[in-house]
Amino acid sequence: MPLPVMSSPVMPSPALVFDDVTVAFDSSIAVEGVSAVVQPGDSVALIGPNGAGKSTLLRATLGLVPLARGSITVLGTDPVTARRHVAYVPQADQLDREFPVTVIDVVRMGRYRSVGWGRRLRRSDKILAADALERVGLSDRAHDRFGTLSGGQRQRVLLARAICQQARLLLLDEPFNGVDSTTQEALLAVLSELRNDGVAIVMPTHDLAVAHLACGDACLLNRRQVAFGPIEDVLDLDALRDTYSGQQLVGPGDQVIIAAGHHDSNVHHHDH
Amino acid sequence: MHDLLIAPFELGFMQRALVISLIVGALGGIVGTYVVLRRIAFFADTLTHTVFPGVAIAFVLDGSLYVGALVAGLVSAVLFGLMSRRDALDDDAFMAIMLTTFFGFGVMVVSRITTYTNDLVVLLFGRVLTVSRDDIVVTSALGAIAVLMVAFAHKELTLRAFDPEGSMAQGYRPLLLDLWLNIAVTLVVVASLKAVGTVLVIALLVTPAATARLVTGSIRTMMAAAAAVGMAAGVVGLLISYHASVNHGIRLAAGPTIVSVLTLSFLVALGGVTVRRRLRRPAALVAA
Repeated sequence: MPLPVMSSPVMPSPALVFDDVTVAFDSSIAVEGVSAVVQPGDSVALIGPNGAGKSTLLRATLGLVPLARGSITVLGTDPVTARRHVAYVPQADQLDREFPVTVIDVVRMGRYRSVGWGRRLRRSDKILAADALERVGLSDRAHDRFGTLSGGQRQRVLLARAICQQARLLLLDEPFNGVDSTTQEALLAVLSELRNDGVAIVMPTHDLAVAHLACGDACLLNRRQVAFGPIEDVLDLDALRDTYSGQQLVGPGDQVIIAAGHHDSNVHHHDH
Repeated sequence: MHDLLIAPFELGFMQRALVISLIVGALGGIVGTYVVLRRIAFFADTLTHTVFPGVAIAFVLDGSLYVGALVAGLVSAVLFGLMSRRDALDDDAFMAIMLTTFFGFGVMVVSRITTYTNDLVVLLFGRVLTVSRDDIVVTSALGAIAVLMVAFAHKELTLRAFDPEGSMAQGYRPLLLDLWLNIAVTLVVVASLKAVGTVLVIALLVTPAATARLVTGSIRTMMAAAAAVGMAAGVVGLLISYHASVNHGIRLAAGPTIVSVLTLSFLVALGGVTVRRRLRRPAALVAA
């Protein structure tokens, strides 16, 4: 297993360790044999087709699904204990746009766990939330209703919520799905800052171009782990063909890669 | 004006009816806000039927209706919380089974009493005009517990309703939060029993909050508006019922009249929002 390049001279303890992680629902295997180490400041793209086990792996990292085999160590402890230091960013489209909450309300939800039951948010929590919203560039929309924002803006609000959780491990579910280029750049900039602060990031994604921009490492999944390592090493055609048999995906530089089962893969350049 | 609005409430039974309608209206609006946001209106509906066997048994044994309803309600709140974890069975299928089983059992119990049809109507529709001071005390106490429960878990219940996955990811246990809200709803149902009965309480839990949801943009204003609608409907319903009976010789039961006023307010809000949306540009729709 190739270890990621260390950015710090001092060896920190890993943010996340997958050791032969296998999840099964009833008798069918959802994902099998995933082994990977994610260091603080690393960003890992989980790449694979629908049903490859990307979401299952995220849920297992949050301690929401039991493992059939192997282990997951989050920030040196088990996933359930580590939850306070882990932030999950759902896809903005999964949330009800009609729900009566403002943008700043949503960001403040990141503080709920630390504030505790039966208490109001402290002044310091509100400052953290306002700062987080500032970082994603949406301070001017703080008091608008969440549902009135565009998809990309809502995605940034959810990232702000994760930021104000002050997590050390960030799990983003397809954060670049259907976002505009402004949002993509804003998200990339913030993610890069977070990595410099030592936050580790794991994100399932379909978009190989974005994976290259946002992540240093990649984990290829197709119910089993196909490859894990530095993204430029991992994203070769053989591995992609193994991962996406018979599906089309967009690669870096607008390449369309058609991986067709047993046949040789073809790479076409395509213009918009 | 005095005859229309003040005079009716100079009567003792009307004063008690007014007080209990205001309490129950506020309760329904506050707790109903979570019911509507969490989309568990059908659970609230189920609950209004599943408390019935408890009421029936208490009736037969000559015990406290509140205790009977509370026990049956808590049992169904916990059962529902546990069963809705199971993926194989849809929530609504399970609720339908629970509703019919509990309710059928209640009818079996009540039908052993000879005068059951009359008693049954009282249990189902309540009698706001016959509530006693003791009823007001019990309703206030149960309602206060329900309001304290939702206030204590306001942040957590909001997050659970808005972003269930995110709530779980933060480490909140969905079963605990669901049970917490189910029990608060049960307390409101039991608290409203005497005034509006087991069937019509659903209107108080859902209609004011649904009305408020149409016209407000934040939870705080939604809750305030829902409570206001619930209370106002109580007062207006009582007045209509009173004047119809006393001045026009038309017997309008107070409980169902209150519900009709609630429905009317919902329809007015729905109409208002629809008209406003038609008048605005499409892009502005979401702000309504």
